[in-house]
Amino acid sequence: MNNRTILSRLAAGMFAGASLLASTAAFAGEVTVWCWDPNFNVAIMKEAAARYTAKRPETTFNIVDFAKADVEQKLQTALSSGTTDTLPDIVLIEDYGAQKYLQSFPGAFAALSGKIDYSGFAPYKVELMTVDGTVYGVPFDSGVTGLYYRKDYLEQAGFKPEDMQDLTWDRFIEIGKEVEAKTGKKMLGLDINDAGFIRILMQSAGGWYFDKEGNLSIENNAALKAALETEQKILQAGIHKPAAGWTEWVNTFTSGDVATVTTGVWITGTVKAQADQSGKWGVAPIPKLNVEGAGHASNLGGSSWYVTESSAEKDEAIDFLNEVYAKDIDFYQKILTERGAVGSLLAARTGAAYSEADAFFGGEKVWQNFSDWLAMVPAVNYGVFTNEVDTAVTAHLPSLGEGANVDDVLKQIASQAEGQIQ
Amino acid sequence: MNLSRLSGTALQYAFLGLAAFLSIFPFFWMVISATNTSIDIIGGKTTFGDAFLANVGKFFTEVDVPLIFWNSAKVAVLATVLTIAVSSLAGYGFEMFKSKARDRIYSLVLLTLMVPFGALMIPLFMMMAKTGLINTHIAIMLPTVASAFIIFYFRQSTKAFPTELRDAAKVDGLKEWQIFLYIYVPVMRSTYAAAFVIVFMTNWNNYLWPLIVLQSNETKTITLVVSSLASAYYPDYGVVMIGTILATLPTLFVFFVMQRQFVQGMLGSVK
Repeated sequence: MNNRTILSRLAAGMFAGASLLASTAAFAGEVTVWCWDPNFNVAIMKEAAARYTAKRPETTFNIVDFAKADVEQKLQTALSSGTTDTLPDIVLIEDYGAQKYLQSFPGAFAALSGKIDYSGFAPYKVELMTVDGTVYGVPFDSGVTGLYYRKDYLEQAGFKPEDMQDLTWDRFIEIGKEVEAKTGKKMLGLDINDAGFIRILMQSAGGWYFDKEGNLSIENNAALKAALETEQKILQAGIHKPAAGWTEWVNTFTSGDVATVTTGVWITGTVKAQADQSGKWGVAPIPKLNVEGAGHASNLGGSSWYVTESSAEKDEAIDFLNEVYAKDIDFYQKILTERGAVGSLLAARTGAAYSEADAFFGGEKVWQNFSDWLAMVPAVNYGVFTNEVDTAVTAHLPSLGEGANVDDVLKQIASQAEGQIQ
Repeated sequence: MNLSRLSGTALQYAFLGLAAFLSIFPFFWMVISATNTSIDIIGGKTTFGDAFLANVGKFFTEVDVPLIFWNSAKVAVLATVLTIAVSSLAGYGFEMFKSKARDRIYSLVLLTLMVPFGALMIPLFMMMAKTGLINTHIAIMLPTVASAFIIFYFRQSTKAFPTELRDAAKVDGLKEWQIFLYIYVPVMRSTYAAAFVIVFMTNWNNYLWPLIVLQSNETKTITLVVSSLASAYYPDYGVVMIGTILATLPTLFVFFVMQRQFVQGMLGSVK
């Protein structure tokens, strides 16, 4: 009798223990994330993690911050050595480098087609993480571009905000000359050792250093040629203020020395940091190149999340990214307001933060505009060697200002790029 | 004649002045920047500002300073002690024990100086992963312990060590390890001091290998933390400079404390 009671209690206890185990075994792991920038990606990922754990308290997160180059170095080492058990569950990869990792290490990242609804994201962000029709990764922040301009300087030169819409780059240069003549201010800051401006222009016309199949495309690349020609015209017209390096470039507009900035939406926070310039700025679509297929939307930078195939918490990591990054509109409002992050989920525009008129930009609904342009950014193939070709392009930018023939420059870039890729 | 000597001296001082400026300016800039806001730094401000305390405050809230410093100090001190113990023994052995194979082995050791670390990284990483040492501080220290350069340095210094001392000790009945511990180490202390400064600096500033091996926020060393702060899209340069200053202080401290011995060690230990 006594024995039986003990036995039955034991059995009951074991059963209870087993069922407890079973219920937590569904999702109980720790999801490790590697990313960079404590004030941006890391902070945003912590917010996303908090939202997920609010619904599923059994999941914990370990968000580790390294420098961007450090994340890449660690990823490269772990993947090349084949010791994939040292990899995190989720890793942030810059969009320009995505194809390099996906193609160099097939099978290293989890295929997410069918698990995430990609139709809700900006198409160009999905394209850059697609290999042979399979999509890897979850699109994150966008570098959709805009033309930020000083309304006060342009008004002094006789231009209204309407005059800044639907520009071509030739018209932009004409306006730049007027602005300098009337206000003494330069039209834009330009760093001759950075090809970012070229990349913006090239992608606005649907071109890249590589064609749709990923083959190097330099010499007969109409978009790249038009971009180089435009930079040459700007350099020769002298409407730019030269900048050496990033901080000097930022200083050209924070100091009020130039009338416009053409770059990714992530610069908004820096522009708005100058409180005394409130109400003086406007944002227009970027000017258009004079080639077929050219438009007013482009992109500079941006990165996305990837789940490693070897991850022990793979399903949990995918569920997390899907629940927050692919669905949570309120999350996108919060990261826009607190961190100035523009995600690539198009539906985010329906939220309150995206609908707000911004007093700094004279009451314009800038986020609605950026969201419009986000959907229009041409999808291109960033290829495996964007950074290598970018180095070759950068090396030849100074010769543009000296009046070199653009076709010759293209030839030189092509031969240097071929050398670096091999 | 006098005039040309005068102009020669002037030229000398001008050159020395320039060299001094070039070596001091980065430190000056570091200290100035630590007292300014990021916006002022980008604007090129070269005078002291009033943001020093704010920067320090931000650095201490963003970074778990005691933990990070403990990590760095632990790694640097332990690795230095181990490196010096192992490499000085090797240097002593290479010089004291004569054999045919000696110089061949020694050449092989020196040959490893020519292999860049980048080439060793992946095999080393695989070794550490297989032994389960990834994300531990031991993994950072182990590859540095047998340092070809420090072995070379000790062997070269040992050449000046009078063999009569060893012979006399032997006659007095000391064993080899006793000779090493009680005779060699005290005699060579300025060599040890110099080696300590060199190895400590290398380990404290070590960046690439810890970066590859360490995987969590809790194990990171100061170099990784500063790198992470500096690589933000909009780095707060004032805060980065606080980190840089704090990361520089221990090496400066070690150098100044051991400066006299360091210089002696460089000139040769035994007089």
